[in-house]
Amino acid sequence: MTESIMSTALSWVGRSPLALHIPDGLLSPPVSLATWVVAIALIAAAIAQVKARYEERTVPLLGVCAAFIFAAQMINFPIPGGTSGHLLGGTLAGALLGPWAGSLVMVVVFIVQAALFQDGGLTVLGANIFNMGLIGTFGGYFLYKALRQLLGFNSWRGTSVAVAIAAWVSVVVAALICAVQLGLSGTVPMGIALVAMLSWHIAIGIGEALISVMAIGYIWRVRPDLLYDPPQRKAVRRVEHPALPR
Amino acid sequence: MVLQILLHVGAFSLDQDSQHVTPWHRLVPRTRLVCALLFVFATALTPHGYWITWALYGLGLTLLLLISRVTLSVLLRRVAVELVFLSVVLLGTLFRGGGQVLWQWGSLQITTVGLTILGSVSIKALLCLLMMNFLVLTTSIPALLHALAELRLPQLLVAILASMYRYIAVLVGEFETMQRAATARNLMGKKRWQRLVVGNMIGALFIRTYDRSDRIHQAMLSRGYSGLPPLAEVPRAGVGDGWAIAAMLSLLLGGFLLGWVG
Repeated sequence: MTESIMSTALSWVGRSPLALHIPDGLLSPPVSLATWVVAIALIAAAIAQVKARYEERTVPLLGVCAAFIFAAQMINFPIPGGTSGHLLGGTLAGALLGPWAGSLVMVVVFIVQAALFQDGGLTVLGANIFNMGLIGTFGGYFLYKALRQLLGFNSWRGTSVAVAIAAWVSVVVAALICAVQLGLSGTVPMGIALVAMLSWHIAIGIGEALISVMAIGYIWRVRPDLLYDPPQRKAVRRVEHPALPR
Repeated sequence: MVLQILLHVGAFSLDQDSQHVTPWHRLVPRTRLVCALLFVFATALTPHGYWITWALYGLGLTLLLLISRVTLSVLLRRVAVELVFLSVVLLGTLFRGGGQVLWQWGSLQITTVGLTILGSVSIKALLCLLMMNFLVLTTSIPALLHALAELRLPQLLVAILASMYRYIAVLVGEFETMQRAATARNLMGKKRWQRLVVGNMIGALFIRTYDRSDRIHQAMLSRGYSGLPPLAEVPRAGVGDGWAIAAMLSLLLGGFLLGWVG
């Protein structure tokens, strides 16, 4: 009982009023339906892929990782410029677990947030999965991978830049698409939605990029084999930054 | 940081009203879930300006709240907090062109169309929040998970949801321990450090999480893993459940027709 109170309580930490979770009633039936269709296709494909890769390990691995993302989203940290924010974790999940398992984990997190904590509506769950699961995680992963291949797959410098750009872009693009959905639904005027969502998430994206890079940097130093695309062993160099600040 | 929030959200709790004996609680969880889903989807997808429809839905929901003897103070407090978080998005619907201009200041204007949409969207959001909070307050989470499985959600998805639910509190606890350790070592003083510590914490926690999943897997195998968390008894749907769904459907359809005609 106290455990569930705690988790409910914690889910409210660091929520911004302009969060990407759309509430019920703000999307029109056509937009809801279209995003639901895409979301269900993504879920079905992800389940098939994950089953094939992890087999009977799927449930413990993905369940705990979903709880991990849920917990990581609750931690507030200061964003350069004055406000504070929290992680969305899409690109992080993609880089750690790969595109399929990463998006399935995010989908599970959204379902729990919508059904148990009313963070985002049920009728718009499809749109939330579309924005942050498909665009944020799936898109974020492939952007990260392409950039990493371009900048140096086995160097920390290339990887960190790739993570940072992918994390920032995925948040901003997800916000952009969220604003477009609100505009298309005829609820929030397109102009207001775009200005409000973008101006806020350009800052949020910076925090997302910084934290994602630091988290992946830690794993790169300590257990690089846990990354979904581990670096080739001989190329791993010691990173100049210490694990803790001096 | 986390502690601050814990103090003032003592108001939140899940399924604290699940033990009452009322007609609503006699329904099997699957029926309750279906009723709630029907209600939420019908409400959210009604076109703007169907005031009579929502009045009827509101009446039906009020009746349901009274029948189920849910703790109203808890329900309303939860919904109020959630509405505050929605208020900014809701306000965004107000300023737009179209219809009669009621008030203007620079490029900002409030029109009749804006007011209609703001009113419609707010009522929809309120009704949906009330229904979902009501469902979660009166039905335990393992029961909801079983209901999802009975409704043919993919077994694997339900099992992942269940295992996530099981470990949320564990991982939140680990995060708090790490945060306390960092604070005790004076590492949370400067903002730059704080970000670095949080980043490292998340990385460290992922490594622990991955190793933990291995241990959980071994433990599950050794205990003959069956796929869903055990529930004391899985009640069978009776005649009442059919009637409940029929009543909900007729409320929703009747309300919609009334709004369409009126």
